[in-house]
Amino acid sequence: MNANPRRLPCGAEIEQLVVQVADTEPAADPAHQAHCPYCQATLRRLRDAWEDVHTLATQPVPIPPTLTAQIMARVRVLARHATDSILLGHPRGETRISHALVGRVIQRVALTVPGVIFASARPIAHQPPDPRRLSVTIRLVVAYGPAIEALVQAVRAIIDRRVPALTGAKLTHIDITIEDIATPTD
Amino acid sequence: MILQVDDRILLKAAQDGDLDAFEALVRRHQPAVYRVALRMLGSEADAQDATQETFVRAWRALPRFRHDSVLTTWLYRIVTRRCLDLIAARRPTEALNDTQPDPRLDPVHTAEQRARLQAVTRAIAHLPGDQRAALILREFEGLSYDQVADALNTSVPAIKGRIHRARLAVIQHTRGWR
Repeated sequence: MNANPRRLPCGAEIEQLVVQVADTEPAADPAHQAHCPYCQATLRRLRDAWEDVHTLATQPVPIPPTLTAQIMARVRVLARHATDSILLGHPRGETRISHALVGRVIQRVALTVPGVIFASARPIAHQPPDPRRLSVTIRLVVAYGPAIEALVQAVRAIIDRRVPALTGAKLTHIDITIEDIATPTD
Repeated sequence: MILQVDDRILLKAAQDGDLDAFEALVRRHQPAVYRVALRMLGSEADAQDATQETFVRAWRALPRFRHDSVLTTWLYRIVTRRCLDLIAARRPTEALNDTQPDPRLDPVHTAEQRARLQAVTRAIAHLPGDQRAALILREFEGLSYDQVADALNTSVPAIKGRIHRARLAVIQHTRGWR
Protein backbone atom coordinates (compact mmCIF):
# COMPACT_ATOMS: atom_id res chain seq x y z
CA MET A 1 0.00 0.00 0.00
CA ASN A 2 1.19 3.54 -0.82
CA ALA A 3 2.50 6.34 1.39
CA ASN A 4 -0.98 7.86 1.74
CA PRO A 5 -2.69 5.32 3.98
CA ARG A 6 -6.16 6.41 2.98
CA ARG A 7 -6.17 6.44 -0.86
CA LEU A 8 -4.69 4.60 -3.79
CA PRO A 9 -2.86 6.60 -6.50
CA CYS A 10 -6.10 6.54 -8.52
CA GLY A 11 -7.93 8.24 -5.63
CA ALA A 12 -9.95 5.23 -4.52
CA GLU A 13 -10.41 5.07 -0.75
CA ILE A 14 -8.74 2.04 0.81
CA GLU A 15 -11.39 1.86 3.52
CA GLN A 16 -14.08 1.42 0.90
CA LEU A 17 -12.14 -1.41 -0.74
CA VAL A 18 -11.68 -3.10 2.63
CA VAL A 19 -15.41 -2.80 3.35
CA GLN A 20 -16.15 -4.11 -0.15
CA VAL A 21 -14.10 -7.25 0.56
CA ALA A 22 -14.84 -7.82 4.25
CA ASP A 23 -18.53 -6.92 4.13
CA THR A 24 -19.04 -8.21 0.55
CA GLU A 25 -20.53 -4.90 -0.48
CA PRO A 26 -20.76 -3.71 -4.09
CA ALA A 27 -18.09 -1.41 -5.48
CA ALA A 28 -18.65 2.30 -4.92
CA ASP A 29 -17.55 3.05 -8.52
CA PRO A 30 -17.77 -0.18 -10.52
CA ALA A 31 -17.00 1.51 -13.85
CA HIS A 32 -13.69 2.88 -12.53
CA GLN A 33 -12.78 -0.22 -10.59
CA ALA A 34 -13.29 -2.59 -13.53
CA HIS A 35 -10.45 -0.97 -15.47
CA CYS A 36 -8.18 0.38 -12.72
CA PRO A 37 -4.97 -1.62 -12.16
CA TYR A 38 -4.47 -0.09 -8.69
CA CYS A 39 -7.93 -1.08 -7.52
CA GLN A 40 -7.71 -4.52 -9.09
CA ALA A 41 -4.30 -5.28 -7.55
CA THR A 42 -5.39 -4.02 -4.12
CA LEU A 43 -8.61 -5.98 -4.24
CA ARG A 44 -6.69 -9.17 -5.07
CA ARG A 45 -4.38 -8.66 -2.09
CA LEU A 46 -7.26 -7.82 0.21
CA ARG A 47 -9.26 -10.87 -0.87
CA ASP A 48 -6.24 -13.15 -0.37
CA ALA A 49 -5.62 -11.77 3.11
CA TRP A 50 -9.30 -11.79 4.08
CA GLU A 51 -9.80 -15.38 2.97
CA ASP A 52 -7.69 -16.52 5.93
CA VAL A 53 -9.71 -14.41 8.38
CA HIS A 54 -12.89 -15.94 7.02
CA THR A 55 -11.42 -19.46 7.27
CA LEU A 56 -10.41 -18.85 10.88
CA ALA A 57 -13.84 -17.45 11.70
CA THR A 58 -15.62 -20.54 10.37
CA GLN A 59 -13.47 -23.04 12.27
CA PRO A 60 -15.36 -24.68 15.14
CA VAL A 61 -14.14 -23.91 18.66
CA PRO A 62 -14.47 -26.91 21.00
CA ILE A 63 -16.16 -26.02 24.28
CA PRO A 64 -14.60 -27.57 27.42
CA PRO A 65 -17.04 -30.30 28.47
CA THR A 66 -16.97 -29.39 32.17
CA LEU A 67 -17.55 -25.65 31.69
CA THR A 68 -21.31 -25.69 32.28
CA ALA A 69 -20.89 -27.73 35.45
CA GLN A 70 -18.23 -25.31 36.73
CA ILE A 71 -20.43 -22.30 36.05
CA MET A 72 -23.51 -23.79 37.69
CA ALA A 73 -21.53 -24.95 40.74
CA ARG A 74 -20.58 -21.32 41.41
CA VAL A 75 -24.06 -20.00 40.69
CA ARG A 76 -25.71 -22.55 43.01
CA VAL A 77 -23.41 -21.55 45.87
CA LEU A 78 -24.28 -17.90 45.32
CA ALA A 79 -27.98 -18.72 45.18
CA ARG A 80 -27.80 -20.54 48.54
CA HIS A 81 -26.03 -17.61 50.17
CA ALA A 82 -28.55 -15.13 48.84
CA THR A 83 -31.04 -16.42 51.42
CA ASP A 84 -29.04 -15.30 54.47
CA SER A 85 -26.66 -12.62 53.24
CA ILE A 86 -26.22 -9.99 50.58
CA LEU A 87 -23.55 -10.37 47.94
CA LEU A 88 -21.39 -7.57 46.69
CA GLY A 89 -19.48 -8.49 43.57
CA HIS A 90 -15.83 -7.67 43.01
CA PRO A 91 -13.54 -8.42 40.06
CA ARG A 92 -11.49 -10.76 42.28
CA GLY A 93 -14.18 -12.46 44.35
CA GLU A 94 -17.32 -11.81 46.37
CA THR A 95 -18.06 -9.92 49.57
CA ARG A 96 -20.86 -11.31 51.73
CA ILE A 97 -22.59 -9.35 54.45
CA SER A 98 -24.98 -11.32 56.63
CA HIS A 99 -28.56 -10.18 56.91
CA ALA A 100 -28.06 -10.14 60.67
CA LEU A 101 -25.31 -7.56 60.31
CA VAL A 102 -27.46 -5.44 58.00
CA GLY A 103 -30.15 -5.62 60.69
CA ARG A 104 -27.75 -4.32 63.32
CA VAL A 105 -26.76 -1.45 61.09
CA ILE A 106 -30.43 -0.58 60.54
CA GLN A 107 -31.01 -0.68 64.28
CA ARG A 108 -28.13 1.72 64.98
CA VAL A 109 -29.21 4.08 62.21
CA ALA A 110 -32.76 4.16 63.57
CA LEU A 111 -31.44 4.98 67.05
CA THR A 112 -29.79 8.14 65.72
CA VAL A 113 -33.20 9.72 65.13
CA PRO A 114 -34.12 11.97 68.09
CA GLY A 115 -37.11 10.50 69.89
CA VAL A 116 -36.29 6.86 69.14
CA ILE A 117 -35.64 5.12 72.45
CA PHE A 118 -35.38 1.53 71.30
CA ALA A 119 -35.10 -0.12 67.87
CA SER A 120 -34.91 -3.68 66.64
CA ALA A 121 -34.66 -4.76 63.03
CA ARG A 122 -35.40 -8.10 61.39
CA PRO A 123 -34.19 -8.42 57.81
CA ILE A 124 -36.18 -10.71 55.55
CA ALA A 125 -34.69 -12.36 52.47
CA HIS A 126 -36.13 -11.11 49.20
CA GLN A 127 -38.34 -13.49 47.23
CA PRO A 128 -37.20 -14.60 44.75
CA PRO A 129 -33.67 -14.71 46.19
CA ASP A 130 -31.69 -11.66 45.18
CA PRO A 131 -28.03 -10.89 45.79
CA ARG A 132 -28.69 -7.42 47.24
CA ARG A 133 -32.36 -6.91 47.99
CA LEU A 134 -34.09 -7.54 51.27
CA SER A 135 -37.00 -6.31 53.30
CA VAL A 136 -36.90 -5.32 56.95
CA THR A 137 -39.35 -5.20 59.84
CA ILE A 138 -38.47 -2.56 62.45
CA ARG A 139 -39.92 -2.28 65.91
CA LEU A 140 -39.55 1.03 67.78
CA VAL A 141 -40.13 2.44 71.20
CA VAL A 142 -40.40 6.20 70.88
CA ALA A 143 -40.43 9.08 73.31
CA TYR A 144 -43.73 10.68 74.23
CA GLY A 145 -44.04 14.14 72.72
CA PRO A 146 -42.91 14.23 69.09
CA ALA A 147 -45.54 13.48 66.47
CA ILE A 148 -45.26 9.77 65.88
CA GLU A 149 -45.91 9.89 62.14
CA ALA A 150 -43.24 12.55 61.58
CA LEU A 151 -40.80 10.56 63.67
CA VAL A 152 -41.47 7.38 61.70
CA GLN A 153 -40.98 9.29 58.42
CA ALA A 154 -37.65 10.51 59.74
CA VAL A 155 -36.64 6.93 60.54
CA ARG A 156 -37.62 5.77 57.04
CA ALA A 157 -35.74 8.63 55.40
CA ILE A 158 -32.50 8.09 57.27
CA ILE A 159 -32.62 4.34 56.72
CA ASP A 160 -33.24 4.82 52.99
CA ARG A 161 -30.33 7.25 52.83
CA ARG A 162 -27.76 5.60 55.10
CA VAL A 163 -28.23 1.84 54.99
CA PRO A 164 -27.54 1.31 51.26
CA ALA A 165 -24.47 3.52 51.51
CA LEU A 166 -23.20 1.70 54.59
CA THR A 167 -23.90 -1.90 53.56
CA GLY A 168 -24.68 -2.11 49.84
CA ALA A 169 -28.09 -3.60 50.65
CA LYS A 170 -31.15 -2.48 48.70
CA LEU A 171 -34.19 -2.28 50.95
CA THR A 172 -37.30 -3.00 48.96
CA HIS A 173 -39.75 -2.90 51.86
CA ILE A 174 -39.55 -1.30 55.32
CA ASP A 175 -42.30 -2.16 57.80
CA ILE A 176 -42.27 -0.12 61.03
CA THR A 177 -44.27 -0.93 64.14
CA ILE A 178 -44.40 1.43 67.13
CA GLU A 179 -44.48 -0.96 70.03
CA ASP A 180 -44.57 1.50 72.91
CA ILE A 181 -44.13 5.06 74.04
CA ALA A 182 -41.62 5.93 76.72
CA THR A 183 -42.12 8.87 79.04
CA PRO A 184 -39.25 10.69 80.79
CA THR A 185 -39.88 8.75 84.01
CA ASP A 186 -39.67 5.29 82.22
CA MET B 1 -38.41 -29.70 26.31
CA ILE B 2 -36.62 -26.78 27.94
CA LEU B 3 -34.36 -26.55 24.90
CA GLN B 4 -37.30 -25.33 22.84
CA VAL B 5 -38.24 -22.56 25.25
CA ASP B 6 -37.55 -19.01 24.16
CA ASP B 7 -34.75 -17.06 25.89
CA ARG B 8 -37.26 -14.52 27.11
CA ILE B 9 -39.23 -17.12 29.04
CA LEU B 10 -36.14 -18.81 30.45
CA LEU B 11 -34.91 -15.41 31.59
CA LYS B 12 -38.11 -14.63 33.44
CA ALA B 13 -37.99 -18.04 35.09
CA ALA B 14 -34.36 -17.49 36.07
CA GLN B 15 -35.28 -14.09 37.50
CA ASP B 16 -37.87 -15.94 39.60
CA GLY B 17 -35.09 -18.10 41.00
CA ASP B 18 -35.33 -21.11 38.66
CA LEU B 19 -31.73 -22.35 38.42
CA ASP B 20 -32.59 -25.04 35.86
CA ALA B 21 -33.81 -22.28 33.56
CA PHE B 22 -30.57 -20.38 34.11
CA GLU B 23 -28.57 -23.51 33.35
CA ALA B 24 -30.46 -23.89 30.08
CA LEU B 25 -29.44 -20.33 29.19
CA VAL B 26 -25.84 -21.14 30.09
CA ARG B 27 -25.79 -24.21 27.85
CA ARG B 28 -27.34 -22.28 25.02
CA HIS B 29 -25.05 -19.24 25.13
CA GLN B 30 -21.76 -20.40 26.58
CA PRO B 31 -20.35 -21.42 23.17
CA ALA B 32 -20.55 -17.84 21.92
CA VAL B 33 -19.26 -16.39 25.18
CA TYR B 34 -16.36 -18.85 25.30
CA ARG B 35 -15.45 -18.20 21.64
CA VAL B 36 -15.23 -14.46 22.25
CA ALA B 37 -13.21 -14.94 25.43
CA LEU B 38 -10.80 -17.31 23.67
CA ARG B 39 -10.26 -14.93 20.75
CA MET B 40 -9.84 -11.97 23.08
CA LEU B 41 -7.49 -13.59 25.60
CA GLY B 42 -5.63 -16.20 23.55
CA SER B 43 -5.61 -18.72 26.40
CA GLU B 44 -8.03 -21.61 26.99
CA ALA B 45 -7.61 -21.37 30.78
CA ASP B 46 -8.20 -17.61 30.81
CA ALA B 47 -11.16 -18.03 28.47
CA GLN B 48 -12.76 -20.60 30.79
CA ASP B 49 -12.31 -18.26 33.76
CA ALA B 50 -13.72 -15.32 31.84
CA THR B 51 -16.70 -17.39 30.69
CA GLN B 52 -17.44 -18.54 34.23
CA GLU B 53 -17.16 -14.97 35.49
CA THR B 54 -19.47 -13.73 32.72
CA PHE B 55 -22.29 -16.05 33.70
CA VAL B 56 -21.79 -15.47 37.42
CA ARG B 57 -22.06 -11.72 36.79
CA ALA B 58 -25.07 -12.32 34.60
CA TRP B 59 -26.77 -14.28 37.36
CA ARG B 60 -26.06 -11.49 39.88
CA ALA B 61 -27.37 -8.86 37.46
CA LEU B 62 -30.49 -10.83 36.48
CA PRO B 63 -32.81 -8.72 38.64
CA ARG B 64 -31.73 -5.61 36.70
CA PHE B 65 -32.00 -7.14 33.21
CA ARG B 66 -34.53 -5.25 31.12
CA HIS B 67 -36.52 -7.40 28.75
CA ASP B 68 -36.32 -4.81 26.00
CA SER B 69 -32.60 -5.74 25.74
CA VAL B 70 -31.33 -8.74 23.79
CA LEU B 71 -29.76 -11.45 25.93
CA THR B 72 -26.94 -12.26 23.51
CA THR B 73 -25.91 -8.60 23.23
CA TRP B 74 -26.00 -8.32 27.02
CA LEU B 75 -23.76 -11.38 27.41
CA TYR B 76 -21.37 -10.12 24.75
CA ARG B 77 -21.18 -6.85 26.65
CA ILE B 78 -20.31 -8.60 29.92
CA VAL B 79 -17.67 -10.92 28.42
CA THR B 80 -15.94 -8.21 26.38
CA ARG B 81 -15.83 -5.90 29.37
CA ARG B 82 -14.38 -8.71 31.48
CA CYS B 83 -11.79 -9.55 28.82
CA LEU B 84 -10.81 -5.90 28.33
CA ASP B 85 -10.27 -5.56 32.10
CA LEU B 86 -8.05 -8.66 32.06
CA ILE B 87 -6.11 -7.43 29.03
CA ALA B 88 -5.55 -4.05 30.65
CA ALA B 89 -4.37 -5.68 33.86
CA ARG B 90 -1.71 -7.91 32.37
CA ARG B 91 0.89 -8.11 29.65
CA PRO B 92 -0.29 -9.41 26.29
CA THR B 93 -0.24 -13.20 26.08
CA GLU B 94 1.12 -15.13 23.15
CA ALA B 95 -1.47 -15.88 20.54
CA LEU B 96 -3.18 -19.20 21.01
CA ASN B 97 -2.10 -21.88 18.55
CA ASP B 98 -5.63 -23.14 18.30
CA THR B 99 -5.85 -23.29 14.53
CA GLN B 100 -6.88 -26.66 13.20
CA PRO B 101 -5.98 -27.60 9.63
CA ASP B 102 -8.78 -28.29 7.20
CA PRO B 103 -8.78 -32.12 7.03
CA ARG B 104 -9.86 -31.96 3.39
CA LEU B 105 -6.50 -30.49 2.34
CA ASP B 106 -3.40 -32.53 1.56
CA PRO B 107 -0.54 -32.42 4.12
CA VAL B 108 1.44 -29.76 2.25
CA HIS B 109 -1.48 -27.36 2.14
CA THR B 110 -2.41 -28.24 5.71
CA ALA B 111 0.92 -27.06 7.09
CA GLU B 112 0.79 -23.93 4.94
CA GLN B 113 -2.79 -23.15 5.88
CA ARG B 114 -2.05 -23.75 9.57
CA ALA B 115 0.82 -21.26 9.43
CA ARG B 116 -1.35 -18.65 7.67
CA LEU B 117 -4.16 -19.04 10.17
CA GLN B 118 -1.70 -18.75 13.04
CA ALA B 119 -0.46 -15.53 11.46
CA VAL B 120 -4.01 -14.17 11.53
CA THR B 121 -4.41 -15.26 15.17
CA ARG B 122 -1.17 -13.49 16.09
CA ALA B 123 -2.23 -10.38 14.23
CA ILE B 124 -5.49 -10.25 16.18
CA ALA B 125 -3.67 -10.80 19.47
CA HIS B 126 -1.54 -7.72 18.76
CA LEU B 127 -4.52 -5.44 18.32
CA PRO B 128 -5.43 -2.95 21.07
CA GLY B 129 -8.23 -4.33 23.23
CA ASP B 130 -10.99 -2.12 21.88
CA GLN B 131 -10.15 -2.93 18.24
CA ARG B 132 -9.77 -6.62 19.06
CA ALA B 133 -13.21 -6.75 20.67
CA ALA B 134 -14.90 -4.92 17.80
CA LEU B 135 -13.23 -7.07 15.15
CA ILE B 136 -14.04 -10.33 16.93
CA LEU B 137 -17.70 -9.45 17.41
CA ARG B 138 -18.05 -8.35 13.78
CA GLU B 139 -15.93 -10.90 11.89
CA PHE B 140 -16.10 -13.96 14.16
CA GLU B 141 -19.51 -13.62 15.77
CA GLY B 142 -21.24 -12.06 12.78
CA LEU B 143 -22.80 -9.14 14.62
CA SER B 144 -24.03 -6.12 12.68
CA TYR B 145 -22.33 -2.75 13.23
CA ASP B 146 -25.33 -1.67 15.32
CA GLN B 147 -25.10 -4.79 17.48
CA VAL B 148 -21.34 -4.37 17.98
CA ALA B 149 -21.86 -0.73 18.98
CA ASP B 150 -24.57 -1.80 21.44
CA ALA B 151 -22.40 -4.55 22.94
CA LEU B 152 -19.42 -2.21 23.33
CA ASN B 153 -21.56 0.71 24.47
CA THR B 154 -20.38 3.16 21.85
CA SER B 155 -21.52 4.72 18.57
CA VAL B 156 -21.71 3.06 15.17
CA PRO B 157 -19.23 5.54 13.60
CA ALA B 158 -16.76 4.80 16.40
CA ILE B 159 -17.17 1.07 15.86
CA LYS B 160 -16.70 1.36 12.11
CA GLY B 161 -13.49 3.30 12.74
CA ARG B 162 -12.17 0.66 15.15
CA ILE B 163 -13.06 -2.19 12.83
CA HIS B 164 -11.44 -0.49 9.86
CA ARG B 165 -8.21 0.09 11.77
CA ALA B 166 -8.28 -3.50 13.04
CA ARG B 167 -8.86 -4.92 9.57
CA LEU B 168 -6.00 -2.89 8.13
CA ALA B 169 -3.69 -3.94 10.95
CA VAL B 170 -4.53 -7.64 10.47
CA ILE B 171 -4.05 -7.39 6.71
CA GLN B 172 -0.74 -5.58 7.05
CA HIS B 173 0.45 -7.99 9.77
CA THR B 174 -0.20 -10.99 7.56
CA ARG B 175 1.07 -9.46 4.33
CA GLY B 176 4.27 -11.45 4.66
CA TRP B 177 2.34 -14.41 3.38
CA ARG B 178 1.58 -12.78 0.10
